[in-house]
Amino acid sequence: MSVTTANKKAGVGETIGTILRDHIVYRKQIVKLAVSDLRRTYRASALGWAWAVIKPLVTIFVYWFAFSIGLRKGGDIAGYPFVLWLICGIVPWFYMSEMLTLGTECILRNRYLVTKMKYPVSTIPTFTSISKFTVHLILLVLTILIFILTGNMPTIYMLQLPFYMVCNFLFFTGWALFAAPIAAISTDFSNLVKSFVTAVFWLSGILWEVDSMHHALARRLLMLNPVTFLCNGYRNCFVYKTWFFEQPKRLLYFAVALVVLYALAFWSYRRTRSEMADVL
Amino acid sequence: MDDIAIRFTNVSKIYKLYSSSRRRLLGLFFKRIPHKEKKAVLHMDLTIHRGESVAILGRNGAGKSTLLKMITGVTFPTEGEIEVNGIVSALLELTSGFDQEFTGRENIYLKGRILGLPDEEIAKLEPEIVEFAELEEYIDQPVRTYSSGMKARLGFSICVNIHPEILIVDEALSVGDRAFRDKCIQKIESIMQGDITMLFVTHATETARAFCKRGVVMKSGRIVFDGSIDDAIAYYNKKY
Repeated sequence: MSVTTANKKAGVGETIGTILRDHIVYRKQIVKLAVSDLRRTYRASALGWAWAVIKPLVTIFVYWFAFSIGLRKGGDIAGYPFVLWLICGIVPWFYMSEMLTLGTECILRNRYLVTKMKYPVSTIPTFTSISKFTVHLILLVLTILIFILTGNMPTIYMLQLPFYMVCNFLFFTGWALFAAPIAAISTDFSNLVKSFVTAVFWLSGILWEVDSMHHALARRLLMLNPVTFLCNGYRNCFVYKTWFFEQPKRLLYFAVALVVLYALAFWSYRRTRSEMADVL
Repeated sequence: MDDIAIRFTNVSKIYKLYSSSRRRLLGLFFKRIPHKEKKAVLHMDLTIHRGESVAILGRNGAGKSTLLKMITGVTFPTEGEIEVNGIVSALLELTSGFDQEFTGRENIYLKGRILGLPDEEIAKLEPEIVEFAELEEYIDQPVRTYSSGMKARLGFSICVNIHPEILIVDEALSVGDRAFRDKCIQKIESIMQGDITMLFVTHATETARAFCKRGVVMKSGRIVFDGSIDDAIAYYNKKY
């Protein structure tokens, strides 16, 4: 038996419960839809899967060229060539930027699941995120290979890589759960987000070291930025050789940001769920 | 209590219409953003018992589609409560609602799982669905390669073969060619022999008479008549 009531009666706890239950019941379907999302992204071209690698490579090359050759600023960082330092910080960003753009639009793009059937909408951000994260995994494997081929063997600090990967995945899946319902209601929102993606990129210390900034206040503010925390985290594994618990304050800031984000996500989902099918 | 298939208790559905996307966004945060309200269904009480076959009559905009969408659980009521007992299968918009990248077979599983069937059960029903849809080797091709007729056949086949307890039929029973259409009507007739509850939405009163015993006439979101099918058709023809 199913009872549908006017949605305003659903409490916050109930909403969270429903979301968790849907993820458990539909776990197989989530994986399948993630595969479908991957196929949809890469099938339409002759090179197919190669694009998942070519696009990031071109981006990395452009930044390396601009910084090392053009500006002649790309010196070694923490004993590693600039390009290696760049790669291990920009690889997590590729996933983030996909989630900021396509993650925000994931419900819009999968509207048939909302308007044509009674599908658990909260799992759409999750399978989209899994799909983008799969590409991220491939790029990470390539990154490790590049480090090994240039004679930089993985160190013991690599053991914390899964921790930062989980942080990254949780944060941006939460982001999509927050943003996608709002974008489904109003396309203005996804345009707003898109116009800020470049700003986030340049303000997050992906291309330059936040720690070496002279301005103390700016440095502190930027460290509050979860994107900085995550990119720095990946670099802790590859080049800085720092454990995550050696920077407890940053960890705490990130944890707070994560909790706030999920609170917003639950709010946004609960607020928009009943309207979504009518608007799409 | 047990023999109730669908029960609406004081159900209203009000669509909020904003003049722009920007206003709709602001409307999420502030209740006082100006908007118009379209009352699609108003204070509706309706009880349908198990095994009944009910025709819903009404002109365009009477609220029929909104009613059906609320039963299938796609859209939510603004007020009130809807109780649905049993697996609902809706023959609406048969060509949509597929994942374009999935094969026909994978879409059978997608739909089956959404209706709450365990995988073993779907596996048992699968051969029947595949055969009825007459897709043959296409069943393992992505749905994006299908023609609209093929999609409709697959959609219809899934809907009627999963042993629904509540079947919703929209008037557009125009699935594929003549032969397939006849097969569809036969199939509906045969599953109606069972303990199935059926809702039939139509303008074509004669088809309604053939399938249904009870008729409900809707106007502007309200039920204006509820009775035997013959009386309902007489009422509908006289008024509209």
